[in-house]
Amino acid sequence: MSGAEIFLQQLIIGLSNGMIIALIALGYTMVYGIIELINFAHGDLFMLGCFAALTLMGLFGLDHVATGSSGVWPGLLLMLIVVPLFCGGLNWVVDRFAYRHLRESTKLAPLVSAIGVSFVFMNLGLLWGGVPMKVFGFGRAAAAPKDFPELLSNTNLLGQSTVQFSGKDLMVFVVTLPLMALLTWYVKSTRAGKAMRAVAQDRLAAQLMGIPVDRVIGQTFLIGGALAGVASVVFAIYNNTIYYQMGYRAGIDAFTAAVLGGIGSLPGAVLGGLVIGLARAFCDQYIETRWTNVLVFAVLILVLVFRPSGLLGAPAKEKV
Amino acid sequence: MNILEISDLTVRFGGLTAVNAVSLDVSEKQIVSVIGPNGAGKTTLFNAITGLHEPTAGRICFNGTEACRPFGLATAMMLILIGLIAALSALLVVNVEPLWDTAITANYVYQQPFSWVKAARAASHYFAEQPGRRFIVPFLIGALTGLAGAYAIWSRTRRAPEVAARAGIARTFQNIRLFNQMTALDNVLLGMDSRLHTRFWHAALRLSLYWREREESRQQAMEILRFVNLLEDAHQLAENLSYGHQRRLEIARALAMQPRLLLLDEPAAGMNPAEAQDLMKLIHDIRNRGITVLLIEHHMPVVMGISDRIAVLDHGEKIAEGSPNEVRGDPRVIEAYLGKEHGDIPTA
Amino acid sequence: MATQRRILFHWLFLLVAALIPVVELALPGRLHFGDLLRPIFIMAMLGLGLNILTGFTGLLNLGVAAFMAVGAYSYAILTCDIYPFRLGFWPATLVTVLVGLTVGLLLGLPTIRLRGDYLAIVTLGFGEIVEDVLKNLDSITKGTQGINPLPSPSVFGYRFRPETYQPWYYLFLGILALLVLLNRNLHRSRIGRAWISIREDELASSCMGINPMKMKLLAFALGAAQCSLAGALWASYLGSSGEPGNYDFQVSIIAVCIVIVGGMGNVGGVLLGALVIMGFNSIVLETVTNFLKAHQLISSSNVFTSPGNWKYMLYGLALILMMRFRPEGLLPSKQLKAELHPPEPNVPPPAS
Repeated sequence: MSGAEIFLQQLIIGLSNGMIIALIALGYTMVYGIIELINFAHGDLFMLGCFAALTLMGLFGLDHVATGSSGVWPGLLLMLIVVPLFCGGLNWVVDRFAYRHLRESTKLAPLVSAIGVSFVFMNLGLLWGGVPMKVFGFGRAAAAPKDFPELLSNTNLLGQSTVQFSGKDLMVFVVTLPLMALLTWYVKSTRAGKAMRAVAQDRLAAQLMGIPVDRVIGQTFLIGGALAGVASVVFAIYNNTIYYQMGYRAGIDAFTAAVLGGIGSLPGAVLGGLVIGLARAFCDQYIETRWTNVLVFAVLILVLVFRPSGLLGAPAKEKV
Repeated sequence: MNILEISDLTVRFGGLTAVNAVSLDVSEKQIVSVIGPNGAGKTTLFNAITGLHEPTAGRICFNGTEACRPFGLATAMMLILIGLIAALSALLVVNVEPLWDTAITANYVYQQPFSWVKAARAASHYFAEQPGRRFIVPFLIGALTGLAGAYAIWSRTRRAPEVAARAGIARTFQNIRLFNQMTALDNVLLGMDSRLHTRFWHAALRLSLYWREREESRQQAMEILRFVNLLEDAHQLAENLSYGHQRRLEIARALAMQPRLLLLDEPAAGMNPAEAQDLMKLIHDIRNRGITVLLIEHHMPVVMGISDRIAVLDHGEKIAEGSPNEVRGDPRVIEAYLGKEHGDIPTA
Repeated sequence: MATQRRILFHWLFLLVAALIPVVELALPGRLHFGDLLRPIFIMAMLGLGLNILTGFTGLLNLGVAAFMAVGAYSYAILTCDIYPFRLGFWPATLVTVLVGLTVGLLLGLPTIRLRGDYLAIVTLGFGEIVEDVLKNLDSITKGTQGINPLPSPSVFGYRFRPETYQPWYYLFLGILALLVLLNRNLHRSRIGRAWISIREDELASSCMGINPMKMKLLAFALGAAQCSLAGALWASYLGSSGEPGNYDFQVSIIAVCIVIVGGMGNVGGVLLGALVIMGFNSIVLETVTNFLKAHQLISSSNVFTSPGNWKYMLYGLALILMMRFRPEGLLPSKQLKAELHPPEPNVPPPAS
């Protein structure tokens, strides 16, 4: 492969992975923007979504469907509807029972609660892996990674070109781009979206305006969770392997992306995700893979030194 | 002698001009009040004086100089030091493995004595082999990044509040900002912090300077609390004090800084007439100690009662300035307040 | 008075801890947990380091395990005889503390102006990359093998042996006692006051003349130094640097839980937190597992019946419930209790 082709390939890989990170980061940044909670459990929610997707595959016999055949589409659609609902709902429930009563206390109490939820989720993932279903290897090795069936093929859509762009890459863009557009429209133009922004800017004022703050926050958790759910399905189909500790890695990437772009900023989360995806891809190729994490961290520090609020973040205004 | 000279100060936030070309001179040991309707820019003015907002234009001179961190020798050396540290880190990041291998692993035989001289020589050979890639480039990139980063961070803190505070400007806040979980005494001691000499070692090892200064500072703090009439509350948590006492504690904390200029932001808010009288006496006592007082206040009896001069702001601009009588009769001032509860500005 | 009660607790802890081996000697075979207290001491030291950063100064650090790792590996490199340094126990420990201090400063310098949550994520990432770097520089750190064996410490001429735990126990306890003293001295001094004011209200603090940057750097340096010390002692006890995976996010989170569960900003609380959390892990969990094994209730093919597989669930639920009902910790500073159960806001009556 020529230099330009290598570059292009890494660009594709970076953007695809970056979009998935961006989706997770979006859910995380939405919750942060509205209640300033570092939702530790978000990455693990993503992991549970992957397990839910695999369970669906098993329940509906989708693991027997031939790769790339037309039987794939109903399965895909099913997962893209059920898993986000599951994740969104779970997120909403967690807010209701673990975070809601902590609204008025310091930042640390909800954070520790979120850590607790993260542990609970991770344990759920471990136990889920032991469920006696075929897709989970009949529960024999609960902690081992699980294979996710190949729904989409790896054949290069660009024909004979050395640059690979498969159906999986296409799926990533086809799912995530419209979703981000939808989210932007929702937040900018709908009443619910405006209520969300109002609560994020000034909770007390929003309350005084008659906005049902707890309900709006619950909705935010729902949407954020749903985004993580979509990310799980996309990730599972793209990467074909899931394991119960993957939430941690995904979480770190998502948090870093959100901070890089500016916590609370939706376009920032997307930008951050893409930057990280691309940085990873290029580092893997041009420097060694083992230093990728360090490079991403270095990028983060560098950005924060010169722009402490992130690339697109607004500096927090303190009223004196 | 003018202790504070504000010339054509403008503070803009994005599209909003909070303070527009305001000029004000304050002489030493005066009590000057800044009044005006809500949103006139008074607190923003205070914030600019104390270093919380960067002026968009204009100058603020305290004691003849602008209160900002000078770019002196010390700063330059600190920047260079950080640049060096960054450069060394960059060198390390690029070279540590091969350097370790040639300098240490290659020369060390298990449990035999090790020659540091040989290691040093091996290291210099290593760098001499490919000086550009291994030494010069990482060093330069690291140094430049470190310098740029350090400068970026430093320049953002040039006019930081602690600079104004150490120069001798103290303040209270519109919405009381006490350290609620500390006692009143601790709050005052905190105010005194920049005048203390106890260093880390003295505190950690409980050396005699620690004990001496502890005793002295406590006595001084108690004296300040007595001055503002809060001695009985010395060991109460700040958040347990009554509203009026909290306001006084904030003043005590500011006084502990031994300032030359004291900025009071609405000290009389929420006070009844008796408390307002006490406050006026307190401000007089403060001025008699040699401290210049600049005051934002809505409580007209207090303003008219103690001010030597009054400046009136409206929509970010100064619309009047003068003695209380002059300002009271000024038609522009009356018009600015028209429609609010004040109507005619009362005298008592 | 509440302060008296708190002053007593950590001295009580240290006193009881000092007596336990004596009791064990007197009643041989009855108590078996003298040895189990060593990890508690180490984690308490780690907690004290984190306490300076988070408890006093309010700088949330989610990656203190990185400092511990730096300490452990520095100590290992300096003492293991596969490297030419071969320092004794005290010199190696001293150098390790200096290294930890430097690393703390290096992390603090670029992050000095960051908002709390940004800093938290950065420290999380820092924890990650230290682990990565230790794994990757395997010609120096021996990768996932770790650096071993390390010689047992020789303190005042007496060489420790792995079999008798008492000297180690008293060494660690002694160092812990010194750290407790140091931290309390700092807490009740101008330094501690400045740190707490930064945590409470950084803006007001800087308006009073405190230089938040300097104090934060001091907190980073001291906190990192203490965590590195904990790492060095841990390595000396293990006889190995351990592998990079031992100093991962789990350890950092345990430290965070120790500080918060015990009662933040409070030295006695950290000790209690260490006791509770590590005690739960090593004592309770062990006993339950042994009990279940003895009664053959554990089947390796069914993931649901092994208690170890429910560990995280229990931790998680405990944290959630704790935050629900007692967020100020088990031994709160009365200060923090006020922060977490805010009283009615003091609103001034409308201006007349």
